Amino acid sequence: MYRLVVLFAVVLVPPGAAAAAEHVVAMKDGAYAPDRVRAKAGDTIRFVNGDTVDHEVFVPTVGFAVDLGKQEPGKEAVLRLGKAGSFEAECVFHQNMLLEVEVAP
Amino acid sequence: MTSPAILGACTLALLASAAALAGPERIAWPEGYAERFVLYNMVDRPDRGTVRFMYVDRASHDAARPGEPLPYGTVLIMEDHKARIEGDRPARDSDGRLVPAEEVTNVFLMQKEQGWGEAYPPELRNGDWDYAWFLPDGSRKADAKFEGCFSCHLNREGERDFTFTFAKYVLDGKPRH
Repeated sequence: MYRLVVLFAVVLVPPGAAAAAEHVVAMKDGAYAPDRVRAKAGDTIRFVNGDTVDHEVFVPTVGFAVDLGKQEPGKEAVLRLGKAGSFEAECVFHQNMLLEVEVAP
Repeated sequence: MTSPAILGACTLALLASAAALAGPERIAWPEGYAERFVLYNMVDRPDRGTVRFMYVDRASHDAARPGEPLPYGTVLIMEDHKARIEGDRPARDSDGRLVPAEEVTNVFLMQKEQGWGEAYPPELRNGDWDYAWFLPDGSRKADAKFEGCFSCHLNREGERDFTFTFAKYVLDGKPRH
């Protein structure tokens, strides 16, 4: 029985496998903080609106384009990073609110 | 000699005429756009369970240059598809992207023509762009409102020429999707 459990653990967690990370990005004073995220495929970014106005995460980059929808103050939204590459996240309502994201394989 | 009163009346009449012509009715349904236009981007909308197909007419696609205003005659189309469902949640491909279903739910257009913006007040005007909303069969959405289009696209004034995706695509070197 012990051998069976050990074998199962090896199959489920291959050597070198890292757990997906969550990167938290604040939306505060009309800016993303931090304004650059380096992540790995499989990670997530959690956007937290700490402002008193609405924001809306929008990625226009081809291959990564997504609109997370309107976020009222205090609300959160999660972006899943499914593949490697680089893209920019903007805010629909605030043209100069930018976040650069680099996703490694 | 023309009196100022007559000139004023003529100006008012012209403005009224321009205002009457403004709006979605001056944008025609682009028959066969899926075959004739360039599909340049696809935007996931996970909060609504939709995928947006972004098209541009081929002549404007080829003529557009980074940092320059988009050409007059540009027609941009945002075609909404429902995302395919697997079990009780939207299906995703190997890159984590939503998988669009065949069914089209709405077709939104924006078109830029010389002088089109003159009919709108400065606080609403989007350069020379106007907007239209069609159903998939080519009929116009009966109760469509466009204030949201104007107010939202106003946030991309300047280098982006009031567009969220197309001018960015041009600035990025027109990458293949």
